[in-house]
Amino acid sequence: MNIVVCVKAVLGSTEVKMDPKTHTIIRDGGEAVINPFDAVALEVALRIKDERRSAGEACTVTVLSMGIPVTEKLLRDCIARGADAGLLLSDRAFAGADTLATTYALSCGIARLGVPDLVLCGKMAVDGDTAQIGPELAGALGIPCAVGVTGLPAVTDGTVTVRRESDAGVATVDVPLPAVLTVAKDVAELRMASIAGILAAEDAEISVLSAEAAGADAARIGLAGSPTQVVRSFVPEGDARGVEITGDAAAQAEQVVEVMRGMAL
Amino acid sequence: MQMIRPWASEYDEYRRDESRSTGEAESISFPTCEDELRSILSELDPATPITVQGARTGLAGGAVPHGGHVVSLVRMNAYKGLRQAADGAFFLRVGPGVVLSELRRHLHAKSLPAHGWDDASRAALEALYAGPEQFFPTDPTETSACLGGMAACNASGARSYRYGPMRPHVSGLRVVLPNGETLALRRGDVCAQGRALELATEQGTTMRVDLPTYVMPRAKNASGYFIADDMDAVDLFIGSDGTLGIITELELALMPAPRVTWGVNCFFEDEGHALDFVVRARPALDCASAFEYFDGAALDILRTTREDGAAFASLPEVPDAYRACVFVELECDGETQAMEALRELGSLLEEVGGSERDTWVARTDVDRERQRLFRHAVPECVNILIDRRRRVTPSITKLGSDMSVPDERLHDVVDLYRRTLAEAGLESAAWGHIGNNHLHVNILPRDEADFAAGKDLFRAWACEVTAMGGAVSAEHGVGKIKRDFLLTMYGEAHVDEMARLKAAFDPTGRLNRGNLFDEARLDAAVGEPDGIEEAAR
Repeated sequence: MNIVVCVKAVLGSTEVKMDPKTHTIIRDGGEAVINPFDAVALEVALRIKDERRSAGEACTVTVLSMGIPVTEKLLRDCIARGADAGLLLSDRAFAGADTLATTYALSCGIARLGVPDLVLCGKMAVDGDTAQIGPELAGALGIPCAVGVTGLPAVTDGTVTVRRESDAGVATVDVPLPAVLTVAKDVAELRMASIAGILAAEDAEISVLSAEAAGADAARIGLAGSPTQVVRSFVPEGDARGVEITGDAAAQAEQVVEVMRGMAL
Repeated sequence: MQMIRPWASEYDEYRRDESRSTGEAESISFPTCEDELRSILSELDPATPITVQGARTGLAGGAVPHGGHVVSLVRMNAYKGLRQAADGAFFLRVGPGVVLSELRRHLHAKSLPAHGWDDASRAALEALYAGPEQFFPTDPTETSACLGGMAACNASGARSYRYGPMRPHVSGLRVVLPNGETLALRRGDVCAQGRALELATEQGTTMRVDLPTYVMPRAKNASGYFIADDMDAVDLFIGSDGTLGIITELELALMPAPRVTWGVNCFFEDEGHALDFVVRARPALDCASAFEYFDGAALDILRTTREDGAAFASLPEVPDAYRACVFVELECDGETQAMEALRELGSLLEEVGGSERDTWVARTDVDRERQRLFRHAVPECVNILIDRRRRVTPSITKLGSDMSVPDERLHDVVDLYRRTLAEAGLESAAWGHIGNNHLHVNILPRDEADFAAGKDLFRAWACEVTAMGGAVSAEHGVGKIKRDFLLTMYGEAHVDEMARLKAAFDPTGRLNRGNLFDEARLDAAVGEPDGIEEAAR
């Protein structure tokens, strides 16, 4: 069984600072980490691998990312924790990609890895919050998708059974393989690396592919391939003014209602 | 506003500290500055006992009142100034009520509250912010401790393996004596001549004090006064359990924060292998800042509590085969050095019967946080277990040891613990600072008989540990709980010397009564103020 896990490097700090002039995130010196949702996806993949291998089956987990060259370090960390291989798509031509262009690039990477049985993604990235990559990837690959998986999937005979929650309730779904799953955050905690894993990962070969080497169409990647573009970003102005509410309980309640009306609630 | 407040039920929390022992007092005050404190001292009847409190996180009952008045220093929490020495080192002046976690946060975020600082301090602050991050290395587990309390008990914790206890990181103190006079001490300025110390108060009184004659153990030690030939006067007040004077200001020596910090949990199937690993790793790993230990029983308790769910469900699973864990923290200049250390550590593990595979390495904040949760979860889980048992037998508590021995006696002391615990049939869990041969062996009494047997065992251990050249309290201080152990360690004559030293600074024996000495011994010393001579002003 071949499993591909898509991972994104995000800022590790919860105290994100914005440049007051450019209104972009200040990334200097910030530690990049695996998007926490993707970390869960990796753990899910590793548990499936453990299960398959203990049943005597072959199973490999490959981590895939599109990012700047130092993202290779994160992929190495994934290998230290139990992944078998890593593929990094890194090229200036990929820069500025929206979710569609990112999905296309990732699908090119997956094509280089051969046909996977299972593609796992985090439900969303903590910086972009779009939750679009998984479903779009399934569309690009032409395979089914289950989003927001909330339990450990069970793989049996060409099918993966997953539990997922939605606004309508909880569903248990049988999805034929190959498939894409996106994983919610509380399914599992990513295991820690061992010394043995870290030392092995130091020697592991991470494939780094340019856009051309990945066989990507230049018109479909990066800014050029992105139908959505950020026109402006800004930090909302804070307004800490308060409204004093006085009088007896009934009068105060009336004033609260007025305030809420003013907020169009 | 009235500074001395009569006792009321709203102050009941100030009757106890983390030792879970309780005392009584008739009044309480919360001074915000040294002048207010001196004013309070002058208002109180000279015979009124005074107990000084910080954040009350101590485990030896040092802050538990002993009648009279409680002075809480929590509102003396100002950041007062900063200086930069010629070699570039930074020294930060703080009030005793500054809380460690806040200090860390301000240093990390470069956000020190600098209201009212003079130009020199502001210039030093600019230099501090322009340079690499600075930190204060003392790392007791309880980060809600305040700096004054930490100095009073010479706190240490995990990183004391590399950085020592609080003592070397305090470069100056201001102290108010029980008579209201003040001392301004900067490290290096006032030292004893042999065992004779001369101090001058800011009010012009000169004090000449004969220091006790004992020799301190070579082990990590927070038992009684720090005494050494030619010692610095600052060191007399650090670790004095608040018995000599009230610390009103500390100058802290900051250090550049390590660039790379990795944590490694090393698991073993045999406790002996874990001890062998520590003995071999200490001289081999130059960049190790901490060696911490968790025995098999501690891991069992953690497993059970984890399975119960709740707060510890997110902890990584610890396989049943693991019967001991050594946590090693590596502080390095860069990742290249850290990788070298990791390789060395792996080799050492394989040599002693461990395995590179049976490890958890934390290189990210997320993983470091999980390791921190693991380390903190062990004592928490034990507390939960004891609280359950106390519902059946309210008179029992956890019995935690705090003893240390010299490096060469590590195997011996663990053998002692294992043999005597087995003989007594007591349940226990051990963890702590194995890098300093300093384990907290916690006896988990199931009933009152176990509780009594546990106390007997601790008394026996105090004798054995003293015979090994160790200390009966390595980091918690003596406070009110370990006075008997202090007698075991130093003997009557030396403890009497300590009491006479206290009487020299506190002629009526009013300050932190009950700490270090019982009342009879203190009152006897107060009656014969030997070894002090006060020169005319």
